Amino acid sequence: MNDRIILDNVSRFYGEVLGVNRVTLSVPPGITSLVGPNGSGKTTLMNLITGLVRPTRGSIQILGISPSDPEKLFRVCAYATQFDSFPRGMTGFQFVYSYLRLSGMSHDDCQRTTAFAIGRVNLGEAAHRKIAGYSKGMRQRIKLAQAIAHDPRVLVLDEPLNGLDPLVRAETIALFREFAAEGRHVIVSSHILHEVDTISDQVILLSNGYVVAEGKIHGVREEMSEHPMQVIIRCTRANVLASRVFEQDNVVEVRLHADGGGLLVKTRDADRFYRALNHLALDGVGIESVAPADDNVNSLYEYLIGGEESTR
Amino acid sequence: MMGRWLSQIGLVIRLEMRKTFFSRRGIWVYLLALAPVLIFLGHSLSEINNRKERQALNAAHPVSTAALRSIERGSTIEEVVEKVGEPFAKNGFRRRDFIVDIYEYTDGENVFGFGFRNNRLENINERDRDTIAKDSLVFAGVFQFFFLRLAIFFGCVGVFTNLFRGEMLDKSLHFYLLTPIRREILTIGKYLAGLIATVVIFCTSTFLQLAALSLHFTGSEISEYLTGPGWGHVASYLGVTAAACLGYGSIFLIAGLLFKNPIIPAATVLVWEGMNNFLPAALKKVSVIFYLQSLSPVVAPPDANMPPLQKLLLTAAEPVAPVWAVLGLLTLTVVVVAIAARKARKLEINYSTD
Repeated sequence: MNDRIILDNVSRFYGEVLGVNRVTLSVPPGITSLVGPNGSGKTTLMNLITGLVRPTRGSIQILGISPSDPEKLFRVCAYATQFDSFPRGMTGFQFVYSYLRLSGMSHDDCQRTTAFAIGRVNLGEAAHRKIAGYSKGMRQRIKLAQAIAHDPRVLVLDEPLNGLDPLVRAETIALFREFAAEGRHVIVSSHILHEVDTISDQVILLSNGYVVAEGKIHGVREEMSEHPMQVIIRCTRANVLASRVFEQDNVVEVRLHADGGGLLVKTRDADRFYRALNHLALDGVGIESVAPADDNVNSLYEYLIGGEESTR
Repeated sequence: MMGRWLSQIGLVIRLEMRKTFFSRRGIWVYLLALAPVLIFLGHSLSEINNRKERQALNAAHPVSTAALRSIERGSTIEEVVEKVGEPFAKNGFRRRDFIVDIYEYTDGENVFGFGFRNNRLENINERDRDTIAKDSLVFAGVFQFFFLRLAIFFGCVGVFTNLFRGEMLDKSLHFYLLTPIRREILTIGKYLAGLIATVVIFCTSTFLQLAALSLHFTGSEISEYLTGPGWGHVASYLGVTAAACLGYGSIFLIAGLLFKNPIIPAATVLVWEGMNNFLPAALKKVSVIFYLQSLSPVVAPPDANMPPLQKLLLTAAEPVAPVWAVLGLLTLTVVVVAIAARKARKLEINYSTD
């Protein structure tokens, strides 16, 4: 079976309003982050993938299954939406159990699986309390428990880390990694860019309904030739290294750090620069660290989408 | 495959039951169902009380029915009193050229009023106590005019439009749509859940109404009625109630999928059902009330003082045979639920605009 999520020239309009336009993607397993400002089309894309909305144009296949076939799709796929609402009067356990039963599991299996899923999100003690009395973080976790309960191969999560405290956030990210390591899809949308940077295998950057970049973060960054790569070097005799570095034809800018203990280099060809750096540093320059300064989602966001949202 | 679908329908029904029976939003449905029960209960309690009073008055002023019925017009007050004794109540008034006296007697069951003008008996007014035959006509009127057309109608508006629309308002419908269940199966499950809830609520109401109405009759009167047409009437009324839930339920299920505000389709259907008698024969069949009127066991006679329009609304138009009425209603329901299932298949979640 096809292990990819494929969107072929997908567009979705809400009347005159554009949701997403001409999106063509082939998403491999792993953690994929959808990044973009409000209204960029992240939720629409997730809703399209899970069949909650239908494309105006184009076609979608999730592991070879059409989203218009929920009977097949939701045996392999789960979606935790951004809606912070639940059926009235249910406890966390009843909530997970009830919808899990619809997948055809027996009562006993369902009880066991529900308890296991709730345990995985560390909500065991509150399982038999009414959801109405849960905190925001607990509600996020029970949604996650409901999504993972039937062991899906594709997990779609809209802003799953919202409202979680740092400890739970770390546990949740570990859970995503566990899922991804098993060859599953974890598609998350997030505004918190440094987190996206930490957890994602690949990113899809959206702006105004268009996909502006997709792929592995490093790969996307390398393709952006109009924005020179930035490299931070901490070293001794930074001024000497700066003069040598500036002789390289791929280097467009060098800035000495105020403390004199390092420099920021902007280069059009990072690979060539890194190779050259080995030779440049031989003669009396002690290099403590070399690190890319803008090889992350935050920079991609800033370069491709721009605006104040990149700082969030 | 069919086994799984049936099991999923059962699970949807179970999930929906809790919401339908115990939601705060549905309290007024219970009130609608309870209202006629209270009316009939009040009527029966008042009748029981009246009978007790009449029996007490008869004990204080004993007189037989035969003696009271033997009084003839033209008799004087003295002749009447000599024949049947003193009345339990005397009323009267005086005008310039005549005096009116009203003497009231009771045999313990019925009340007789004798109206004298200038000491001559002119009017005899016998107020018979209620009989089952009389009350069954009253019940037929209340059932067809209030219960079917208003209570069940608006009860179904409340229950069935909420099956989808209520969850859209609560923003919780997507949980269903994200499970491995066909939307058609979900629609059928939700419809059956609504149907079970309304049938239980309104059939219980119908039964309680009949029970409340029969409270003031004696055991022998009731058993005589039941051995006659009684059980047939009870079964028919319960059947018509269930049929009303079936038909109106399907219409308001699809209304909940198509309209954001249930008042608009409810008003439209109410008008359509109301003007059923004015419609051509072919269009009459595209309504629920047409079949329900054909199935009702007792035809409610229009009251002489009823306005002509109301009289027309109550009169059944060319009723069809019960078997055709049931088939017609089932066909209408199946077609409407099928359209609703098709609509649900294309349903999208966009709570912000719903």
